[in-house]
Amino acid sequence: MTGMRPMPGGQIGRSVPRLEGRQKVTGRADYTHNLVLPGMLHVKIFRSTMPHGRIRSIDTSAAAEMEGVYRVVTGQDIRQIVPEPYYGPAFHDQPVLALDKVRYVGEPVAAVLAADPYVAADAVQLISADYEELEPVFDEVEAVDSSAIVHDVLKPAGTFPDLKHLHGRQNTNVALDYRLRRGDVEAEFAAADHVFEHEFHTQQTMHTPLEPMVSLAEPSDGSLTIYTASQSPSFVRIEIARLLGWPENRVRVKVPHLGGGFGAKLYIKLEALVACLALMVRRPVGLALTMEEQFYTITKHASTFRIKSAVNKDGRITARRCEVFYNGGAYADIGPRVAQKSGFTSPGPYDIENVSIDSYEVYTNRPPAGALRGFGIPQLVWAYESHTDLIARELKIDPIEFRRKNLIREGRPQATGTPLRHAALLGVLDTLANHMEWSKPFERGSGTLRRGRGIAIGFKASIAPTTSVAIVNVYGDGSSSLYISTVDMGQGSDTAMAQIVAETLGIAAESVKVIHPDTDVTPYDMATLGSRSTFHMGHAVKRAAEHARGQLDELARSLGLPEGTNYGPRELFRQKYGMQAGNVVGVGSFIPEYKSPHPETGLTDNVTPFWMIGGTGVEVEVDTETGLVRILRLVNAADLGRPLNPKIVETQLSGAALMQLGFTMFEEMEFDNGQVSNASFADYKIPGIHDVPWTIENHIVETEQPTGPFGAKGVGESGTFGVSPAIASAIHDAVGVRLTKLPLSAEAVFNAIHASAYKD
Amino acid sequence: MRGFELVHPGSLREAIAMLDADDPSVRPWSGGTALMLMMKTGVFQPSRLVCLAGIENSYAAIAATPEGGLRIGAMASLTSIELSPDVFRVAPVIARTMKRLSNVRVRNVARIGGNVAHGDPHMDLPPVLAALGAEIAVSGSQGQRRIAMENLFSGYYETVLNSRELITEVIVPPQRGWSSAYLKCTTRSADDWPALGVAVSLMVENGKIAQSRVAIAAATEKLTRLHSAEAALANAGADDTTFARAADAAASEAVTVDDSRGSAGYKTALVRVYTRRALQQAMAHGAVQ
Repeated sequence: MTGMRPMPGGQIGRSVPRLEGRQKVTGRADYTHNLVLPGMLHVKIFRSTMPHGRIRSIDTSAAAEMEGVYRVVTGQDIRQIVPEPYYGPAFHDQPVLALDKVRYVGEPVAAVLAADPYVAADAVQLISADYEELEPVFDEVEAVDSSAIVHDVLKPAGTFPDLKHLHGRQNTNVALDYRLRRGDVEAEFAAADHVFEHEFHTQQTMHTPLEPMVSLAEPSDGSLTIYTASQSPSFVRIEIARLLGWPENRVRVKVPHLGGGFGAKLYIKLEALVACLALMVRRPVGLALTMEEQFYTITKHASTFRIKSAVNKDGRITARRCEVFYNGGAYADIGPRVAQKSGFTSPGPYDIENVSIDSYEVYTNRPPAGALRGFGIPQLVWAYESHTDLIARELKIDPIEFRRKNLIREGRPQATGTPLRHAALLGVLDTLANHMEWSKPFERGSGTLRRGRGIAIGFKASIAPTTSVAIVNVYGDGSSSLYISTVDMGQGSDTAMAQIVAETLGIAAESVKVIHPDTDVTPYDMATLGSRSTFHMGHAVKRAAEHARGQLDELARSLGLPEGTNYGPRELFRQKYGMQAGNVVGVGSFIPEYKSPHPETGLTDNVTPFWMIGGTGVEVEVDTETGLVRILRLVNAADLGRPLNPKIVETQLSGAALMQLGFTMFEEMEFDNGQVSNASFADYKIPGIHDVPWTIENHIVETEQPTGPFGAKGVGESGTFGVSPAIASAIHDAVGVRLTKLPLSAEAVFNAIHASAYKD
Repeated sequence: MRGFELVHPGSLREAIAMLDADDPSVRPWSGGTALMLMMKTGVFQPSRLVCLAGIENSYAAIAATPEGGLRIGAMASLTSIELSPDVFRVAPVIARTMKRLSNVRVRNVARIGGNVAHGDPHMDLPPVLAALGAEIAVSGSQGQRRIAMENLFSGYYETVLNSRELITEVIVPPQRGWSSAYLKCTTRSADDWPALGVAVSLMVENGKIAQSRVAIAAATEKLTRLHSAEAALANAGADDTTFARAADAAASEAVTVDDSRGSAGYKTALVRVYTRRALQQAMAHGAVQ
């Protein structure tokens, strides 16, 4: 280092207040929802009322004739712009508007364009469609063998090498079947001291971002600009360019702040439709969904998990078989990746010699399911940790001790054969046990109010291999900007990335400007998902800042300044150019190493660049007369490497845990023959302030991820892992009944209490 | 949403004249908190809304009567009722109910007349008012009438009001000597619509229950007064045994319905538990002086 660092060090590990905080609370932050383009037409969608049907005809005539309607468009019209209008990140299976068939209630069938959105909405009411009814299938297990086939042929996108073998498969609803085989589970089951087998279920839920999905497209001469609330601007550009057969540089994608994402706004959602419509009518076009419509767009997988374990007389798990069925809904979205990337962790963070995994992504006639904060992991932890507690209870071993006995130790292989490194499983377990005061006597309540407690722990691999690129630009006056395509959807990435730049350049984080995604300006990033930004983009940003710093140092040397000069960038530029001029551009990119699992055995020695560890402990009070459960205390602990910004980390942990608390206690999409019957906040309830546990603690386990930027790794999802099984276990502890199906509704608890009382 | 006409009458008579007996798409508009939701989801498409803001001043007063009752103008906001010293003195159960009734933004805007007239069985105030023995005063094209709160509802989202009638006032009879409580049960989030609301009022004389009213809502198609529970209470000792017997009678009598907040069977179980607890709580609160 030669140049002066005005603020050396101290930027990492500092709870820098969010850079955008003031803008947001004063209502000045940019959101796509507020954007109005001159001459813009609004789009409203006519949706399928049939869960599975062949389209006989669509009558748009009355809508087209309505005053104020500019145009009505169907799937066949889209073919004028894109002859093969199927999109998707994993499979090219989703039509821009339905073609030939509809596959779920709520699927977009036609679109109305009008200058007035209310006129467009009224015109939608005048459209009708005639369908030949086909047999639907809704359940993920039934769909495996059902005669109702959602897609005639599987069409993997080719983007992911792990999915290529599926190409051309017919007469199946199984969109992906990931298998892993290690050792011999059957032999172990036959010889084991104890064998346990359980089945667990989760329900379909939704992300409910308070800013519903919104995309605008603006055509210009031979190019197209898309303004969209997306978590993956780079992917949107690539996919739109692919559909149109254009080079990437003719498609521009801009993303301001997001009002929440949680995985709902990943890959491609409304962008293909607005792009096609804008090119068709040669005017700017905008589509903003309502909260209700989001339920017809993307959801969290319902699931069934059958788990069987062999345990020896010392309480060691010696074999485990996992069969996981993810209900993918009518279109793949990223579901096949969920089934695979999460599937390989389905035996849990336990050191088990013999493992067999079958993880299926199954098409059904429900709204599509994709990524939701945890990417399939919370469904798995729910099952394997509930199973773990049931085994411990049956064997009369303390649940903490049972876990301690079986957790994977540093360097030992996980199910895939990849050694677990820098994964503080025991650290998280001990942190929970200490803060829950597990070894002390516990007040168990009396009368009709009974208390119980539970803990659970889970882990997740990062998404690999994925690329991030960053640019740091130091301007003539010494101020600097960071150009990245990471989307700050509320998680605080702008602030964390600015801290990395600031630490490297020796300036204050508050002085770094983060340029929001604009694919004409900001470089490629795979997407903002899977808690990958801190690690992947963090590395790229650090490298870009180091690159800039190296050039500044070189500049100082070229000017003949002595080592350790106290000239800052501003003075260096002035000396070189004789005025305030010039800039230094640092570039950095990052892609971690990865080895694909073997197609037959599912094994690999490098499945992820890092592991996320999260656990939760809860204390509950159950009203035995009503089944109502009150969560008195929620303790979260996570290994996230070194916290870049402890305050943001804490809110990530508590936010994730509260989100999962909703999915655990009451959130549930209800269906009537495939129709979501509670698609609004009036009937689909999410946790409010009064549902927040009386005490909520977030503990950062002291560790370092040596391969991460400044020792850090991801944390956005870790708080979700343990919540559901910990609560179910605490209820079991309080009133002696075990629920195996989410949500843990008061009525379900009530019924279980009554069933057990009757049995006794 | 199609366009609609918004009219601003300056008097009650004008407002009634602007309503239409035959057209259900003409509706009065007070706080609008319920209508807005219905309009947003397309459940209700108005042709004309009769805005009552212009007559608010004449119909928003809240006052204790010399006899120890209350008169509450139909246009009184829920917040003004919640904060009224008269309400707190005469019928503290109303003020307590407000704390968990929707949220402060809604209470600031919603009016008691609209709350009652909406006919939604999930509202908290109708069972409370019914247990207090309240009546509503109604003005219409045919003149004025009074209706007991418990008789206002004819079905799910249905009232006995005709479409050219407006509620002008809620009248609560003298409460001296009565003990009241309201309990609501939400089975999902805390701010969910109730799965059940139970309101009770007891008049205890010399340790015996001289009079009682038990009203439930949300779990049933409409607000329901449970006469069999009241019969079980009549002239019995105000103790847990009596309350349990009354709770059993309530559970037997209540015709509960299934919805996403719970099955009918579960709600019947809730009726039993919450009726008993509400009676116990009313005794714990003590009588209004």
